[in-house]
Amino acid sequence: MSVNHILPFLSTAIMLVFTVSVLQRFFVRRQPHFLFWGIGLAMFGAGSFAEAYLALAWNKWVFFVWYLFGAALNAAWLGHGTLYLLVRKKWVHAVTVVLVLGSLFAGYLMLQTMPKLDEAVFTTDRIISEQYGTKALEAGEPVPAGAQTITTTYRGEEVTAVRGILPLGAPVRLTTPFFNIYGLLTLVGGAIYSAYLFWRKRVMPNRVIGNVLIAAGALLIGFASTLTRLGYGEYLYLGELFSAILMFAGFRFAARPQPDEVMQPAPAAAD
Amino acid sequence: MTRDNRTNSKSHIPKGSFLFEKIVPVSLVVMGVVMLGLIVFAAGVLLGLVKF
Repeated sequence: MSVNHILPFLSTAIMLVFTVSVLQRFFVRRQPHFLFWGIGLAMFGAGSFAEAYLALAWNKWVFFVWYLFGAALNAAWLGHGTLYLLVRKKWVHAVTVVLVLGSLFAGYLMLQTMPKLDEAVFTTDRIISEQYGTKALEAGEPVPAGAQTITTTYRGEEVTAVRGILPLGAPVRLTTPFFNIYGLLTLVGGAIYSAYLFWRKRVMPNRVIGNVLIAAGALLIGFASTLTRLGYGEYLYLGELFSAILMFAGFRFAARPQPDEVMQPAPAAAD
Repeated sequence: MTRDNRTNSKSHIPKGSFLFEKIVPVSLVVMGVVMLGLIVFAAGVLLGLVKF
């Protein structure tokens, strides 16, 4: 068992504590941003747990959870919580409808893909992020060491591809960038914006630092996911663990009560 | 119980702090640039410019 088999368990434990902490605040304060953060964090935790499971054995529904919640949706739901905190306008509710419908559509596409999964390619010798996607090879492009290839028809052309669990061109994969762009803009952009507001006003240093940590944690997972897309999936789990630690630390830091705090109407990525 | 409106040193950014004068603003700028880079990458995936 390698370090990469253990990291997702650690991330899962942190995300579980984080999720409970945020949802507790929602049940006390009834503010929607806590609900969306809680749902996004629960998705993050479910994705981490699915990774941990898939490091030991195959189960197609665990893979469903890993891809849909861990890879596609969680950043968007987390970011939507930040949007609710920063923008108190009615149009945010319309965005909520779009997010929910988009998430349901992604779930539908994932369900459509389930019978087409290439389960035979799965191995516990490699982490799931290195084996989930089928990638078409360019003419003359070398086959990565240890990879299995298939020849298949894709968009009317015969192509050689590195075998992966999800079929080549699976529509659900096209939805992922939409969710992740939205998640990046709202979660990272929102945390940077909040930190800037407090920094500019020279108040609440805990929220400045807290939001910097949240932004750094969210960026780290985005960066690790991008590396995965580029074929360096071995860094994903380490990135997830540090991301979970940074975001949890940021949340705790930003939420820390300060004695005789200045009343502050400006938004924050955590309160 | 309402919170006190008076200013307090613990709720203000300390003057002359290296962390808040240098590290925080540089971090915010760097993270903003990295965020834009990741968004461009994701857009490249959507537009088919980045193979996956």
